[in-house]
Parts: sequence; structure tokens; C-alpha cells
Amino acid sequence: MDATYDKFRKMNGDNIMLSFKGEITSEIISMVLQIAENKLEAVDEKGSTKRKIFNILVECLQNLYHHAAIDTTNNKKTSQKIALLELWFENNYYYILTANYIKNENVANVKNKLDKINSLSKEELRDFYREILDNDQISEKGGAGLGMIDIARKSGEKLEYNINKVNDELSFIDFKVKIEKK
Amino acid sequence: MELLNIEGSKQTPKINFNADTGILEISGRSIPENSFEFYNPILIWLDEYVATPVEKTVIKVNLEYFNTSSSKYILEIFKKMKALHVEKKDIVVEWYYDEDDEEMMETGEDYEDVTGLPFKILQIEE
Repeated sequence: MDATYDKFRKMNGDNIMLSFKGEITSEIISMVLQIAENKLEAVDEKGSTKRKIFNILVECLQNLYHHAAIDTTNNKKTSQKIALLELWFENNYYYILTANYIKNENVANVKNKLDKINSLSKEELRDFYREILDNDQISEKGGAGLGMIDIARKSGEKLEYNINKVNDELSFIDFKVKIEKK
Repeated sequence: MELLNIEGSKQTPKINFNADTGILEISGRSIPENSFEFYNPILIWLDEYVATPVEKTVIKVNLEYFNTSSSKYILEIFKKMKALHVEKKDIVVEWYYDEDDEEMMETGEDYEDVTGLPFKILQIEE
């Protein structure tokens, strides 16, 4: 059998519901969310779980839209923010994975934020959310720094991530969110 | 004052603000990438409303989804309304949530705490 057939079988077997790699534009976000919504509608899943998955997907895609760094590794002149996004189901958990470049200068901030979020209990996360919500600063990108906290609250699980340096300018981050099927 | 009517879309909520009745309704979903563009005209309209409000103001929030980028602007709407509350005007926020959407209920409580406005947190009747 050819490689495409293998890949097709593998994606079916792994319960991949959505797999996208490409430029993250406003139109793409809208389309990906539409596809995700249709897929979630098709599986027999509780409304609250569907809602969590959809909410987390929205935040993940918008994180990519606002924060992914432009890929400059191949020397091509490009202004594209390329990213990977996957949604799959495995052993009673839904998983959302994103992967993208970030600038080295932002690595420490991202790490600190994610480590802090992972160190907090459910109640502490709620307090942290309220604190940032009530802080008057609306960031230029509009996110207000709430996205990751919201993802952690909705997931109820620790956020998994890896950051690896690619060159003097860029690092690569993969970020995985677990959502228990209820 | 003119009514503020905005049709809902896949990414933005339906807005139905009526300065004559004092009923200000937000419903649907609010998940735009750039919330400022969507919410800024609404905040400008509210500045005018707050200057000449009717006897009783009811803000009805009935959202299926909203993203964190919108959450700041929803708070801004409540903060504008806070001026009326401080002036002892009659104002209430009706915050609706779906029966199985505990998070939306908690979010309502978060806003109630943060804003200090009178909230009614109401389960949507099926």
C-alpha cells in the first residue's frame, strides 16, 4: 500500500478529528472552528464537554493568531505565521495540540506564565483569573493575558509544553491540552 | 437616542440596546480575534446612554460562548454601568446560563464580584 493510504489509516485509527498545518489568518480560524463544531456535533458527546473543547480551541487558535512568530528558518521572504493544530481523542481524553515558532526573547515569559499556571490549584486559578480580568490593562493584542488561564481552568488538567531553541532568533513550542470526556 | 442594533454572526454577538426601554441585550457568541473593533462602538453608545438613562436599566447577557478577548470588553460595559449604580439608579444585570454550563454560571459570579453590580444569575428555561 502507498504512503498516503498508510497515513489515511493511521489518522483514522488515532481518532484524529482535526489536523491543520498552515498560515493562521482570521478566515482560517473561522473555517477551522466551523469544521471542529461540525465534528463535535457528529460525535455523541455531552454538551459541557463539547463546549469546553470549542472554547479551548478558540483560545488556542487566537493565541496562535496573536503570538506565533513568523517562520524565518527557510530564508524565504515570508510574513506568514505558520502553525500546527490537532484535535484527537484517546483513552477517554480529548487532546488539543498546537505547535509554532516563538521569538527567543519571549521564551522566558511564556515559560514563567505556564509554570505559574501549572502550580496553581483550581481555586487559585479562579482568583488569578479575576485578578487579571480586573486589572485595567487591555493588551494591544486584546488578549489581556487571560487566554492561558482560561484554557487551564476549562481543561482542569496541567498544561503540557516543550520549548526547543531552533536558532539565534527562534524557538519552537508545542503545547498540549487535555480535556476529560465526561 | 438611537437604538443600537447589531446582527449576530458566527463570531460576534447580537446587540439590541434600547435607550427608551433601558433594556440592553447581548446574546449569541462573542469570539472575535479583535474585540476592540467590535466593542468600541458599543462602549461609545453606552457613554451617551449613561449621561441620560431611563428610570430602570436591565442588561441581559445571554452568551453561548465568549473568548477571553471579549471578556475584558464585557467588563468594560459593566464598568460604564457602574456609574449609574453609584448614582443610586436602578440597574440590574441578568446573566443567563445553560443548565449544563456551570462555567458560564461561575463566570457570572466572577463578574458580580469584580463589578459590585446587582446581578441575577438565571438558568435558561429549556
